Amino acid sequence: MPLKLIPLIPLLPLLAALWIAIGYAFGGNRGEVGERQTSHLALFASGMSLLIILAVDVMALVDGTAPGQLLVGEWLAVGSFVLNISFTLDTLGLAMTTLVALIAFLTLRFSVNYMHREAGFQRFFMVMSLFSGAMLLIVSAGNAALMFIGWELAGVSSYLLIAYLFDRPTATASATRAFITNRVGDAAFILALFLTITWFGGVEWPDLLQGVTRLDGLGAGLLAGAFLIAALAKSAQFPFAPWIGRALEGPTPSSAIFYGSLMVHAGVYLLLRLAPLLEQVPALSPLIIIIGLLSTLYGWLGAQVQSDVKSSLIFATTAQVGLMFITIGLGWYEVAALHLMAHASWRALQFLSAPSILVQSEKPPRAVAAWLRRQRWLYHASLQRFWLDDVSDALLLRPTESLAREVEHFDSAVVNRVVGHVQSHSEIGTGRGVAGRAMEWLAIRLEWLEENLILRSGGEGLIGLISRIGSQAQAIEKLLERPRYLWLMIMATLVVII
Amino acid sequence: MDSLTLLLLSPFAGAILIALLPGDNRVLLRGVAIAASVIALLLSWMLLLSFDSGSAAIQLDVGVDWNRRLGTSFALGVDGISLPMVLLATLLSLIAVLASASITENAKGYYALLLTLESAMLGVFMAQDWVLFYVFWELTLIPLFFLINGWGGSGRQGAALNFVLYTMGGSVFMLLALLLVFDEVGSHSFAFADILAGAHGLPAETQLLIFLGFLIGFGVKMPLFPLHGWLPLAHVEAPSPVSILLSGVLLKMGSYGLLRATAMLPEAAMAMQGVLLALALIAIIYGGMLAWRQSDLKRMVAYSSVSHMGVVLLGIAALNVHGITGAVMQMVAHGLVAAALFLLIGLLYERTHTRDINDYSSLVRITPRFAFFTSLAFVAAIGMPGTAGFVAELHALIGGFERWGWLVIGVSLGVLISAAYAVRTLTRLFTGPVRQEMRGIRDLERGELMAASVLSLGILLLGFAPAPALQLMGASVAQLGHLFAGIGG
Repeated sequence: MPLKLIPLIPLLPLLAALWIAIGYAFGGNRGEVGERQTSHLALFASGMSLLIILAVDVMALVDGTAPGQLLVGEWLAVGSFVLNISFTLDTLGLAMTTLVALIAFLTLRFSVNYMHREAGFQRFFMVMSLFSGAMLLIVSAGNAALMFIGWELAGVSSYLLIAYLFDRPTATASATRAFITNRVGDAAFILALFLTITWFGGVEWPDLLQGVTRLDGLGAGLLAGAFLIAALAKSAQFPFAPWIGRALEGPTPSSAIFYGSLMVHAGVYLLLRLAPLLEQVPALSPLIIIIGLLSTLYGWLGAQVQSDVKSSLIFATTAQVGLMFITIGLGWYEVAALHLMAHASWRALQFLSAPSILVQSEKPPRAVAAWLRRQRWLYHASLQRFWLDDVSDALLLRPTESLAREVEHFDSAVVNRVVGHVQSHSEIGTGRGVAGRAMEWLAIRLEWLEENLILRSGGEGLIGLISRIGSQAQAIEKLLERPRYLWLMIMATLVVII
Repeated sequence: MDSLTLLLLSPFAGAILIALLPGDNRVLLRGVAIAASVIALLLSWMLLLSFDSGSAAIQLDVGVDWNRRLGTSFALGVDGISLPMVLLATLLSLIAVLASASITENAKGYYALLLTLESAMLGVFMAQDWVLFYVFWELTLIPLFFLINGWGGSGRQGAALNFVLYTMGGSVFMLLALLLVFDEVGSHSFAFADILAGAHGLPAETQLLIFLGFLIGFGVKMPLFPLHGWLPLAHVEAPSPVSILLSGVLLKMGSYGLLRATAMLPEAAMAMQGVLLALALIAIIYGGMLAWRQSDLKRMVAYSSVSHMGVVLLGIAALNVHGITGAVMQMVAHGLVAAALFLLIGLLYERTHTRDINDYSSLVRITPRFAFFTSLAFVAAIGMPGTAGFVAELHALIGGFERWGWLVIGVSLGVLISAAYAVRTLTRLFTGPVRQEMRGIRDLERGELMAASVLSLGILLLGFAPAPALQLMGASVAQLGHLFAGIGG
């Protein structure tokens, strides 16, 4: 029975998000009055998801084995390619789903009080529900495509929450930066999906993981590399790390659930899920270890010099996740999984209590370590977050900008002149640009044709012709009415008859 | 009484009842008119229950000898091509009655004429005898003349006269063609089936002569370039509910007749294929260009009808299964879209008393429902995927492509032009500053909202799930398509 309900686990929070959005659009749950209704709905959906997954857990414990791969139905079929709606609840998936459902539910409950009377309460709960659904989909999805949907939804909701205070320029700028950085990972994920579909014809996890054993070294390396980039971007590892430091603009509960405990681990989860693929490519392990090491150093050093609690927590998170990558690189998958669970729970608590940390702790915050203060250049580099943002700006942003400028110039100098620059309130029936003016020229000729040939001489002309004929007929009639002509006609008839 | 005769007579019975009622009780008159058209709608949709869409034959047919010496009979029946038209006609008639709330002057005459018009239109689509067909064809003219003449705009007299003269002129050619084919076939019967069977054996030159007569007769109604002179005037001057029927159903009578004529004279149709294609392309581009030049909203939609009926002609001209499917689909789709546009523009005109696009701006803030439904209708008119127009245009294009290859690129040009005027109009209507004098406009009210929703729902349903509609017309269209495949082309 609980197995039948498994699709509801990600679906319920998504539906709650939809319902809150619809309710808000129609004015049903706005204002402080609507807070109770909104939070109840979100909590109910999240709570139900939690209950269902707990029931599945209990069942798995009683049976002594996890449900494994579950096929719910076919979603779409294109030619020989079939995309299923399926869920993978093996021990890893089951544990992760339970963890996500639990932390999402608790954070939502925390937010009810935390967000009380905030402007945008409904919006916050809508996006949080959307995120819970997305995250649950990531960890329970039975195939890579379904996981990708959750992956994208999580990215979007992260964007929406970082820009929660959308009237602050820094918040919107950070949101955009975080989103764009994530898109790099998404592109890699799409590439991996494409490779999977081309090589294996399906994206179900079991198919994929069995298929990789047949791949040659290069193919497996390409596939694993693409998935690795996706994981690195999502988990904010080196060199994508800086976005997460800017992602704390949103309300604290959202930071907790997104960057402290859940979304940041999505990349680790992806790699754990793909463990057989990673084993196929031993050359990748040193790379993962090095990246993990760099991330850990980056996070650790960065955390030393932060002056606010949320920033130091997020740098610590990066460091911890870096450690998980190292353990994955070493092939200790169980260790990484355990580390993930423990870290997620602990970090969620830390983030949620961060706003009240001054109340709770009596000791003043620790100053920067003495050895780091002595290493001037290292201290500086840590403060500047190792210039990762500036490097990426110089390497990617500026060339893109200058290319865009050139394209814009081409557009205004050549394309617009040919196609015409659209202005909303121009004269009716006039065109701009070469094509527009040609159309106008032709249309004016056709209009002339219509007016003169068809309407005037066709329609009105027809009436005119008929009235002319009519008046002539009337004249003949009048002539005939005169007695002498009548007499003449009778005479003529008689003559003819005779 | 059998179901088709009942359907045919029910609006007419409503008209007679209205004629007998006192003329001063407008609510009662309107109630009777709505009831009669609802009954007709239900009767027509109930036909679906007994209609077998797997068969291409004429179904539910009745036949009573009318005049044995002339060989005429009172024969009714429907197949997969006429049934969609019957359903469309009853639906749009109800919408037209619903949209007539603002008619106050001599409502009795108005509703009686409207219901008579409905009966006559149904008769055209259900007739299975050419004389009966001709009688109903002419019968539509009488109520239409009086409706335009009595309740139209400022230039209504000229428009009504113009309309009748044009159509009568076309009818003369149709009648001549009918008499000629009757004479040539010599089976002494005007029944569709007999004439069809006989005409297939005629020599090609005779067929061509007869086909030309039909082409002119139906071409006026459809309308074909350059026989469309009546259309802009009549559409602009007619009261909006009548414009709905004119554009939504009356134009389809022309293309429906043309389909019947191609089935009767396949060799002539094959010979004329090039001419038909040329006429279709001209209509599509010419109508679109002129629509683009109009600032009067009704006039613009009227010209866009010319363009859209060009797509119907393109589908018919392709003379293959896809093309004819596209033609029939486009007849339904354009019926719904044009009806929605005329309905909304008519209601807007009642409120603002202007049809000039330049007088409108930023309606979305004052009347969001108007904005929504008008946008949907215009988007459907362009043939956006997800709307009925897309399915229709796609089929017609595929059919045309199968026949002529890249020549149909002209059609895409027409689509581009239609996008130009539709989007232009939308920008005009819904962006810019809020005008002071437009602040007080009422949004759609309940009855109007319902009428607009029904049409929009139809547009979207046919767009998202066209399968039932395609299946309904499938067998008959396939039979017609295979007829031409047999001739080889």
